Amino acid sequence: MTVRSRPLSPHLQIYRWTITMAMSIAHRGTGIANYVGTILLVAWLAAAAWGQEPLNGINAVYGSWFGQLVLFGYTWSLIHHMLGGIRHFIWDFIIGMEPGQREMLAWANLIASVVLTLLVWTLFVWMA
Amino acid sequence: MREQIITRDVVANPKSVYGDKRASTRHFFTQRVTGAINIAFLALLLFVVVRLAGQDRVDMVAVIGNAWIGLPLALLLVIVAIHMRNGMRDTLEDYFHGRTYSLYMMLNTMFCLAVGVVGVVSILKLVFWG
Repeated sequence: MTVRSRPLSPHLQIYRWTITMAMSIAHRGTGIANYVGTILLVAWLAAAAWGQEPLNGINAVYGSWFGQLVLFGYTWSLIHHMLGGIRHFIWDFIIGMEPGQREMLAWANLIASVVLTLLVWTLFVWMA
Repeated sequence: MREQIITRDVVANPKSVYGDKRASTRHFFTQRVTGAINIAFLALLLFVVVRLAGQDRVDMVAVIGNAWIGLPLALLLVIVAIHMRNGMRDTLEDYFHGRTYSLYMMLNTMFCLAVGVVGVVSILKLVFWG
């Protein structure tokens, strides 16, 4: 049976960007970032178990401006992914799926993640 | 979630079942439960990181060496490793199939296992041997 060639499914650049779509992609992106980011946590714990010298090395890297930048991004990524997970919990109860509601939840996810990240860093890093 | 070869006959047959409903439901449920547990452990992780960031080994042993902090932290790492593997599986299923998928899935399992084992062993070292 011959099948005529069909149009390919349009990819991301075709669609008008919506906030729900952006936050869905961000949820996956932050998930992957957190996946890789666990190396930061485990390397720190392993260095502490290993000895003072490796721990000094880790502390120097994490304390550098670049290390702090990465940790700030990691904090945001973790918080954004957590809030995204809570959004999925809400949807699991068939709440917040109507037009308007889902956009509101997506914006809340984004705004709250930025606010909470800044709050955590202000309280525990910049003011500490 | 095991790979199923979808042929023309499979598609044509209205009685076809796609995927494994038990394993897929378990996957969904595991992801929700581990995610909820991760949120429950948020305060512990925040405390440990904020208290110990940039500190010396002596402080790390003093705080994580306390079994009431160290052992829950080790448990958290195990739960996180499960959540990571589950979540990465969702991603891999979307973009790969066949042998490529199996290969990436194996690497995924190995990475999550390594994260869990290195993390837990490090913490147990701090708890039981200082």
